[in-house]
Amino acid sequence: MDEFIFEISSEDDTCKAAQFLAKNLKPGDIVLLNGNLGSGKTFFVKEVLKYLNYNDVTSPTFSIVNEYDADIKCYHFDFYRIKNEMELHDIGISDYLADSEAISFIEWAEMFPSIVNNYNYLVQIQLNNEQRMIIIRKYK
Amino acid sequence: MIFLGIESSCDETSVAIISDNILLANLVASQQFHSNYGGVIPELSSRAHLQIISPLLKQALQEANISINQIDVISATAGPGLIGALLVGLSFAKGLSLSLNKPFIPVNHIEGHIFSGFLMDEKPIFPMLNLVVSGGHTLLLLVKSETEIYKLGTTIDDAAGEAFDKVGKMLNLEYPGGPKIQFLANSSSKTELTFPIAKTKNEFDFSFSGLKTSVLRHIQNNFPNQIPDDKKAEIAFAFQEAVTNALISKCEKAIKQFEINSISVVGGVAANQRIKESFIKLGKKYDKKVVIPSPEFCGDNAAMITLRGKQLFEKGFRFSLSENAFPSIHSNHFLRINYEK
Repeated sequence: MDEFIFEISSEDDTCKAAQFLAKNLKPGDIVLLNGNLGSGKTFFVKEVLKYLNYNDVTSPTFSIVNEYDADIKCYHFDFYRIKNEMELHDIGISDYLADSEAISFIEWAEMFPSIVNNYNYLVQIQLNNEQRMIIIRKYK
Repeated sequence: MIFLGIESSCDETSVAIISDNILLANLVASQQFHSNYGGVIPELSSRAHLQIISPLLKQALQEANISINQIDVISATAGPGLIGALLVGLSFAKGLSLSLNKPFIPVNHIEGHIFSGFLMDEKPIFPMLNLVVSGGHTLLLLVKSETEIYKLGTTIDDAAGEAFDKVGKMLNLEYPGGPKIQFLANSSSKTELTFPIAKTKNEFDFSFSGLKTSVLRHIQNNFPNQIPDDKKAEIAFAFQEAVTNALISKCEKAIKQFEINSISVVGGVAANQRIKESFIKLGKKYDKKVVIPSPEFCGDNAAMITLRGKQLFEKGFRFSLSENAFPSIHSNHFLRINYEK
């Protein structure tokens, strides 16, 4: 596992962290995003997608999954309002995640840890005393 | 002519029947309905749609007092939505179309909402300013006719309804928190507390993520352990005011800039009383007719899908059975929305 830590004091810093991830992403990758409500998970995905030439990222909380026709096709999930694992199986989560041509971003994946066993990146957005930190872990 | 419509884009399964201009049935499957047909089923489930759609159609036909052979046109939501959920309604509609040998019309869910004001007795007048506010969408549109829709703005992050639900969560209200926030806010009187309204690059865009975060910071900074009930009500009130002001101010800008005859606010959030009242006031100020659908047409429902299918059919649009479901708002081909300003 490789770990990259970004200290964030402005929107620009978030963009840099997002750019770093975007440059490394390839089709088939799965990216988990951890962080409290309002920590900026959706904003981070929005910035990553900008580097993949897609500008219309919005929150998938209601829709559960958004699909983006970016340079690489992307799925953007949010498990926030999922009540049980069956619901995820029912929307065909395994088919989405097995799509080797697409990148999957998942917010609130920690709510259902057994659903996503294999992932390539974990993005952790931490906020301590107004100091924001983005930690990107890359798994082999 | 008799029009049948099916909606299954997200949580709700719904079937409606319109004969000429009369809505004969508009059934939305409730949890009660689910329990009558096979026990407790997760709300969000393609399988739930699948189990419910056939009995729901039967019940709708019964309510409308017609037989299935009398149906002339069949519509279904093709997107945007969850692909698995969409496919249930869409495939069901295609199957009916094939077996009854009647035309099939795929309908854009957002277009269903846009024209839902026409389900009311008092209908919008073109050109209309249209605000779609729901859990998944926040769109400001200029609608010149049934086939000319121009997007003025959209949310750049969270939808308005989502902000309601998430602030509801912060106030320990059960999901979905929207209706409960309204209830709480009603118990608060005037307050000094205000939350900021985000500025956006495009003057007609919306942003609710910052508002959500500022409510969260307010709670964290002032009530780290527990929020007293009166303070909860105060937060709910101030938050609801901020959302209302954001929606009203963008619409007011649009009223000044574009020639319109009416304003129609649609989607789940349009059921919010405070928002409703504010728009009626706005309409009075500029002498524009305001149409807000009654609550049963604000949430996801098949009546609006049936009506939109009827409009498209009457305008002469015909579709092949190969029209597919589309998950995202941007990736469809038959949509008449011009997504450029």
